[in-house]
Amino acid sequence: MKKTIFFTCVIASVAIGAAVLSQLGLGGGERTVIGNGSVSVLGRVARATDRLPPSVLSYPFAARNFASKDGAGARLLKTQDSLQLYAVPGKGGMLCLVEVDELAGTAGGACADRAVLRTGSIYMADRQEDGSRQVVGLVGDGHTFAEANGKRTRVENNAFVLPHVEGTGFTVGSPEATQTVDLGD
Amino acid sequence: MVHVQLKFNGRCALGATLAVVLALSLVPAAGAGAYIYWWQRNMAPDQVGRDTLTPHNHSYNELYFGPNAGWLSQVWEVTPAGYRHFDKRCVGNCFNAHPRYFSTYSYCANRDGRVHFVYDCMDEW
Repeated sequence: MKKTIFFTCVIASVAIGAAVLSQLGLGGGERTVIGNGSVSVLGRVARATDRLPPSVLSYPFAARNFASKDGAGARLLKTQDSLQLYAVPGKGGMLCLVEVDELAGTAGGACADRAVLRTGSIYMADRQEDGSRQVVGLVGDGHTFAEANGKRTRVENNAFVLPHVEGTGFTVGSPEATQTVDLGD
Repeated sequence: MVHVQLKFNGRCALGATLAVVLALSLVPAAGAGAYIYWWQRNMAPDQVGRDTLTPHNHSYNELYFGPNAGWLSQVWEVTPAGYRHFDKRCVGNCFNAHPRYFSTYSYCANRDGRVHFVYDCMDEW
């Protein structure tokens, strides 16, 4: 009788523990993991071109999200035409992706917990006049490509640009694994 | 007949020039403003926060979950005629800054599949 009660308690404890962990988002069994969330470009020696434009530092977003007021630790990831992408260390465990298009006079940013990089990308998707979206993304080490609508682009310096994404998602991946990223409707 | 002769010396002219420059530089700022249109509430999936009080020539729109962001978000603007502009989807906290091209209303949304606390959504014009 005692054994039965003991085993019942053990099974109940395991079940409750599993339920709690899954609610905390630690289950993640169905999500493919690539890398450990590290971003090696943040470790390279700083250059003058890594400095964020003063206009970006003046936005309320910078004070709320960036680890330091002057954007210290930022790295220029990619320049494509007039578009520039930066990675910026964020507060707490966050990492930020910032895009600046000086010709268009636009800027944008997204900050998220670094854990996102293990199962996908910190990205921004801008709707364009033709209804497609331009997706810019930051991925962790290990990711080698991003792909949408059958077109694949290389990840360089932990970043990618997908210029005309139609549909509800795109993929990022390594030679061994692929992750699907949902853009929504 | 009384003749009034105005005499400008160099110091006076410099002062007048500075006053004009200062006044001109303050004209755009006089119409500027900022507004928090979603304040410290839970947002359900696809729930939309709106700043539809008065259309403005917006230059900035931001959604801020808080310091622990990691969920899908969206900010966008719509003209009174219904045309959508500056539509950006993000992972986590999100902002979009742009020239003041259109008179618009501002919107933000939690695009994750679960309810999340949003500290605020704010716009500037």
